[in-house]
Amino acid sequence: MRLKDQVAIVTGGSRGIGRGIVKAFAAEGAKVAFIYKGSQAAADSLVAEVAQAGGIAKAHQCDVAKHDDALKVVEAVEAEWGSVQILVNNAGVIRDGLFVAMKEDEWNVVIQTNLGGTFNFCHALAMKLARQRKGRIINISSVAATHTNPGQTNYASSKGAINSFTRALAVELAGRGVTVNAIAPGFIETDMSENVRNKAGDLIKKMIPLKRLGQPDDIARAAVFLASADAAYITGQVLTVDGGLSLGAVAV
Amino acid sequence: MQSQEEIYQKVSATLVEALNVEEEEIKPTATLQGDLGAESIDFLDIVFRLEREFGIKIPRNELFPESIFQGDPEFVLNGKVTQKGLDELRQKMPFADLAKFEQNPDLTAISDLFTVDMITKYIETKLATKV
Repeated sequence: MRLKDQVAIVTGGSRGIGRGIVKAFAAEGAKVAFIYKGSQAAADSLVAEVAQAGGIAKAHQCDVAKHDDALKVVEAVEAEWGSVQILVNNAGVIRDGLFVAMKEDEWNVVIQTNLGGTFNFCHALAMKLARQRKGRIINISSVAATHTNPGQTNYASSKGAINSFTRALAVELAGRGVTVNAIAPGFIETDMSENVRNKAGDLIKKMIPLKRLGQPDDIARAAVFLASADAAYITGQVLTVDGGLSLGAVAV
Repeated sequence: MQSQEEIYQKVSATLVEALNVEEEEIKPTATLQGDLGAESIDFLDIVFRLEREFGIKIPRNELFPESIFQGDPEFVLNGKVTQKGLDELRQKMPFADLAKFEQNPDLTAISDLFTVDMITKYIETKLATKV
């Protein structure tokens, strides 16, 4: 077990990629506190699923876009399980739409959740991780940060900023033994990508050199690696996990 | 009222914790960056810990002023701190011992002003004026 007895916080944990990460971390021996905003049924079922597999997970309801909520969750996790070693900022939303028609709220909610949520949880934990001289921060970015389609100015901006934030924070925390990395998933089969997949699933598959869409597990395995001792010398990196999509091969 | 020795002991213990150094490395003249290996985040950590330890509030930039001169030519000329700059330093950091620095006021040596003794003196001043 690569994460035995470690305490992890995973935001956006009840569904999609986050759910895969929660399960993988718990299977590797970590106690996983995951954050969900509205999907209580999914959160409850995940706690049960992890317990059935012999792991430990607990759900915390919280809006990651709210700074105070993040502080409260971190305090609650520490009160129950002690100090936290691993943070995964995965909570994210999309509000796709062409920029000229984008409403201010569609911009704000994406930036505040994806980037703001990452800030809030890092802010709540960074000094604590620095003080214990041990910690792993993993931010979930997206290939959309660098390879964008129309309709994602808000989402691409939030993810591009997460990449920059990852590098900048990595530099600040490295002296204290805390690593900060990002994972940039490609097309992963989740609820969030359902619309796009329905519209262009076959086309997307053709564009992916590995000839299949990604699964949450593909990202979760990368997250386990970055959280584990194996990745001790890696910091400030964005690990792309996209089946080769971003390589830009014209005919595959 | 805490004695200077008591304050020094508490400051030392704080630095041992914050900088992960051995107690033997802490001396009054030890510089935080050069001798004790402090980085920027460590300065913040030290401030937080001192606030808690002594029950005081340390305003940002009071104990460890950042970029004191901000490239102002009146304060720094050809990499040396000018007389006006030294006056400014004295005013901003009355608790720092400038005697040695004044002999060769090289801007790069400014971090050597941040010593264990400087923090102790700063805390003494703060506690003396605490209401």
